Amino acid sequence: MRATKRFAFAAAVLVVAVVALAIKVLFPASPVTEVIRIVDTGYLASAVRLSVPIAFAALGGIFAEKSGVINIGLEGLLIVGAFTGVAVSYWLRGGEAVAVMPGVVLVLVCVLALLLVLAFLGLLGSGVRKIGTRVGGGLLATVGLVGLTVVLTDASQSATWLSFYVAVLMSVALSLLFAGVTIEYRADQVIAGLAVWLIALGAAPFASNVIWGTVNSTSVPTLDGWTVPLLSNVPVLGEILFDSDPTVFMLLLATPLSWYVLRRTSFGYWVRASGENPKALDTAGVDVRRVRYAAVLISGLFSGIGGASLSLGQVGQFIGSGSTMVAGRGWIGITAYLFGNYNPLGAFGASLLFASLEALQIRLQQLGYGLPPSLVQTIPYITVIVVLALVGRTRIPEAAGEHYDSGED
Amino acid sequence: MSAPAVELRRITKQFPGVLANDEVDLTVERGSVHALLGENGAGKTTLMNVLYGLYRPTSGTVVIDGHERVFDSPRDAIDAGIGMIHQHFMLVEPMTVTQNVVLGNEPRKWGGLAIDRQRARKEVSELAESYGFDVNPTAAVEDISVGEQQRVEILKALYRGADTLILDEPTAVLTPQEIEELFAVFEELTDAGKTIIFITHKLSEATGAADEVTVLRDGKNVGSVTADDVTGEELAELMVGREVLFDVERPPVETGNVGLAVRDLVVDDERGVRAVDGVEFSVAEGEVLGIAGVDGNGQSELIEAVTGIRSPAAGRVYLGNSEITHRSRRQRIESGMAYVPEDRQARGLVMSYDLVENGLLGSQHDGTFAPGGRIDWSGTEAHAADIIDEYDVRPPETGATAKSLSGGNQQKFIVGREFNRDPEAVVAAHPTRGVDVGSVEFIHEQLLGLRETGTAVLLVSSKLDEVRSLSDRLAVMHDGELMAVVNPDEVTEEQLGLLMAGERPAELPTVAAPETEVET
Amino acid sequence: MNTEWLPDSVAKLLGRLVDASAGERLAVSVAAVVASVLLGGVVTFVSGLFAECATPTFGPSCYNPLSVYYYLFLSPLTSSFSLSIMAEQTSLLLFTGLAVAVSFRAGLFNIGTQGQLVLGGLAAALTAVALGPVLPDGAIGGAIIATVAMLAGATVGGLFAAIPGALKAYFDANEVITTIMLNFVAADVAFFLVSTYFQKPGSGSIETRDVPEAATFSPVVALLMGLVLVAATTYLLWGTSFGYDLRTAGLQTEAAEYAGVDAKRMVVASMTLSGAIGGAGGAVWVLMAVGRWVTGVPPLGFDGITVSVLASNNPLGVLLAGPLFGTMSAGSLSIDFQLGVPRQLVGVIRGLVILFVAMPEFFRMLGARWGLGGGVQ
Repeated sequence: MRATKRFAFAAAVLVVAVVALAIKVLFPASPVTEVIRIVDTGYLASAVRLSVPIAFAALGGIFAEKSGVINIGLEGLLIVGAFTGVAVSYWLRGGEAVAVMPGVVLVLVCVLALLLVLAFLGLLGSGVRKIGTRVGGGLLATVGLVGLTVVLTDASQSATWLSFYVAVLMSVALSLLFAGVTIEYRADQVIAGLAVWLIALGAAPFASNVIWGTVNSTSVPTLDGWTVPLLSNVPVLGEILFDSDPTVFMLLLATPLSWYVLRRTSFGYWVRASGENPKALDTAGVDVRRVRYAAVLISGLFSGIGGASLSLGQVGQFIGSGSTMVAGRGWIGITAYLFGNYNPLGAFGASLLFASLEALQIRLQQLGYGLPPSLVQTIPYITVIVVLALVGRTRIPEAAGEHYDSGED
Repeated sequence: MSAPAVELRRITKQFPGVLANDEVDLTVERGSVHALLGENGAGKTTLMNVLYGLYRPTSGTVVIDGHERVFDSPRDAIDAGIGMIHQHFMLVEPMTVTQNVVLGNEPRKWGGLAIDRQRARKEVSELAESYGFDVNPTAAVEDISVGEQQRVEILKALYRGADTLILDEPTAVLTPQEIEELFAVFEELTDAGKTIIFITHKLSEATGAADEVTVLRDGKNVGSVTADDVTGEELAELMVGREVLFDVERPPVETGNVGLAVRDLVVDDERGVRAVDGVEFSVAEGEVLGIAGVDGNGQSELIEAVTGIRSPAAGRVYLGNSEITHRSRRQRIESGMAYVPEDRQARGLVMSYDLVENGLLGSQHDGTFAPGGRIDWSGTEAHAADIIDEYDVRPPETGATAKSLSGGNQQKFIVGREFNRDPEAVVAAHPTRGVDVGSVEFIHEQLLGLRETGTAVLLVSSKLDEVRSLSDRLAVMHDGELMAVVNPDEVTEEQLGLLMAGERPAELPTVAAPETEVET
Repeated sequence: MNTEWLPDSVAKLLGRLVDASAGERLAVSVAAVVASVLLGGVVTFVSGLFAECATPTFGPSCYNPLSVYYYLFLSPLTSSFSLSIMAEQTSLLLFTGLAVAVSFRAGLFNIGTQGQLVLGGLAAALTAVALGPVLPDGAIGGAIIATVAMLAGATVGGLFAAIPGALKAYFDANEVITTIMLNFVAADVAFFLVSTYFQKPGSGSIETRDVPEAATFSPVVALLMGLVLVAATTYLLWGTSFGYDLRTAGLQTEAAEYAGVDAKRMVVASMTLSGAIGGAGGAVWVLMAVGRWVTGVPPLGFDGITVSVLASNNPLGVLLAGPLFGTMSAGSLSIDFQLGVPRQLVGVIRGLVILFVAMPEFFRMLGARWGLGGGVQ
């Protein structure tokens, strides 16, 4: 689908939504309103919230694929993020009171371990000094973040946030495994991605069973919402955007930030070059391997946030039955960025679209229209298929899926 | 006198099984244009890759401006002022000229958090102007011409402070006009004190554009001379090591009806850009029609339309007297069209198949090899063995995978397979690309043999000598059109050059199409 | 390999299959299984540290990896009951493994075998139930019902797979995602159809009526069917023009185009074939394993992917990898009942196997380090 077609499609949907809302406001008694009853601010707020895991997966996927590494295992990363968040939160609440310190220690240990592995892989530069500064800097930043979290929130929320961080780190670790396998050992990216997904698909319910005796976890508290003073009082938009989960804010920040990084920073140039013509980047003196690792780790970071936002941000539990609570959001995320043509803003829009269908499906069930729930559930999946058929020949990065050998010696 | 810009002393580079460079000495004076001449496989690119830091020499030293240097990577070479422009451009197509030039060296603002795009654009424009280059800094690389892309590559090197520029086969993809422009750029650069080394296998360029020429053969330096002091024949002898004959026997053959023809053919490429714009020709049975031209002027798309790989946007294709424009690829094979493709590794062979299965490629539905859809492996194997034997494919093992064969042997196998079809018509694209000299002669003989038995042969080649000596009539393709069809024995190289550049010189020895016509 | 006793055509055919690099691929597959199983043991041990149990059985850990190995690989072979489960699982994996192998060989990542199996199985169940009263009781009637039911399963599976095939061929829609999405759709649609129209009266679970007893068959029969299918698939892929077209299209699309293969038709045909085999597998599940269609279809489709990947997408390899996973599948129930180790461990091992097989480079490097194997390229 050409770019103009896509925009037209999205614009059309937007126009319909606005018109619908307008009718509801202006003609409250009309029969049209009955139908439009479905769409209200609550619905839109719900759609935005539901888009978080999908959009984060999509944003991460953009970085990875743009750099030449197709990360098909995003679904697995989401699962890992969702599970780990709940598991750590549960662990911290094991005793009498909520234990925050073990959480802090855990976060720092994970960060240290990750940094050491990166150093070992030669990704943090060479020379003890350079590596030392980078590891030290990373740890310091983590301490800062953790400190801020602990100071600004009460014990229970701190524990939840710390669990969130660990979840993200675990997802980064799994993405590091994926990066290593595909970049160092030249595994087929699609198969390796499927492997990551299947490993997570097995490991999460397995671990759930070990901890809780069933594939579903017990409940843990979710992240408190944030309300932005003043802005949240804006009609309609205020409720949707500014009085919501912290993860929504993260998404609203991450999307333009991703766009900016890709279009306006050196790193962004390198990512794009790495996926189109890695040889060009190599001869320009930039380490392609490092760029690809970084891009894949970013996909791990974002997916971790997406997964943890699902369990810790919204549901408050890990559900590991069937295809787990993630239920295909990783795949939908991939479709979202294909539909958005690798543009973070487009991917966000597409994610919102899919999420609004999910919200619609939930709403329809709530309103009790008598539609069989199992059929209604297929709406998002069928939409993804239709979108993929329409998207057709998206211009994928030239070198995506190919290994890069930086020359002979 | 200042130290030479570049001195390579006894450079040796050994690969497993191949000695690519054998104690090569090379001295390039500052401010000169130096040509590195030699046949394919002589070791020129390897030597330059050593100079550029892509390879470490097995032994020998690299001296830049009188200082000995060790390059661990291109970055080191770049720091030493060496820049390389590769044959296949290292450009990121969707990004702009400016973005490509500054890649890896981007000017930053805001403490490194963002790229200063304004400054980048300014610096690139100014750099281009100072050398008299004509480039549009904001154009996307995929939208500009090949000649312009090459200039972007040169700018890249200059932006990084290169004093010595290495160009690998820079004229391979340029029209004669663009080649002139390139050589003019060489002059500008040397006037500004830069040093140029360019790799080529074309004698005329070496003598025409260079001050000094070094000839490599089989990995050794067989002679370094001043361009003005040497003749083309002398250089050719150095290159090949024996006297080179440029002629082949082409006995006259009685031609028959039309074997292959196209009318008003219009073909678009993948991106929807018009590649063939109204081409018309006929090839008679027993005739070789050659198509010459610089790569990228629509030859590939023309061939794809004739062989059925691509659907034409308009026009008609004929095999014998039947119109086959919309017949599938498989139908064309069954109707007796043989095709030696341009890309042997992607199209002509399945690299992981052995030669038996590769011998079946295209014939897998043929009743001789697969009666009733069931493959007769014994027969197929015998067939592959025949091809290997006849065309001297080495190693002569039917069980060898295509991947394990050298490029030349792969090509021989493909040619053997296609010529052995007993075809009505043969479409051959660059059939001797990468083939060793002895086998080139054999393939030429086979091709002429097909001609004698009444096969129509459409030959596309960028080797002017080959296409001139083999063709009965020679067409030149430029920008999707056939500029003219000439008598290859009478046309001069200058005339051909002009035609290839899109200009029609006066007094062309044109030749009319064969008498017979297709039923339209 | 001494093949003089085989008829020439068969020998030649086998020769095509077992080429020089097969040895290396076999080594990698074996190494992958060993590595995954070892890692699985580590996972078991570590998770045992976190589990809660009365008395730790293996050092501080609640789970004993060695017992796990025993129950996964050896105990299924000990009793006739568990052997029959193992045969059951193996025969099903032969079907799904072959289904995946055919599509992967054609260069298509059909991850939808699960969905094709679910719907194929449902079609078979419904057909068998519908035909029950119509045909005479007894073995012949049963055989006819079973045959028709299997055909129905294959047809529905094939058609269901043709959808993503056509979408890929004509719209270039990524088949990994479409097939995964269709897995979800298949499960939901099947659930809907059964719970609304075909529910077995009086039952608490969502299931169809039982198929006629005569139409059911034992795991041995299913195994035989599987073997025949392996032979048929092998012959199709390496002995026919169609198979040559399919394999070539999967290896190099440009070369296939050059050789006259109609790319679009081949994509749809291979997906349909793959779906048909998967659907037939679903029919076998219904007729042999459970006697009806019921929700909670085991992840045979995904295990099929593992089997095929492990087998390098080669039907003969599926013959080796199938029993391995069939045994593990059978054993997974034991580790749960006997040891309290969650059966999802097999799912983890499944993912690990695919990961290891995907990186032969890793084993090559290990091999070079330990001085194994001749010249490494």
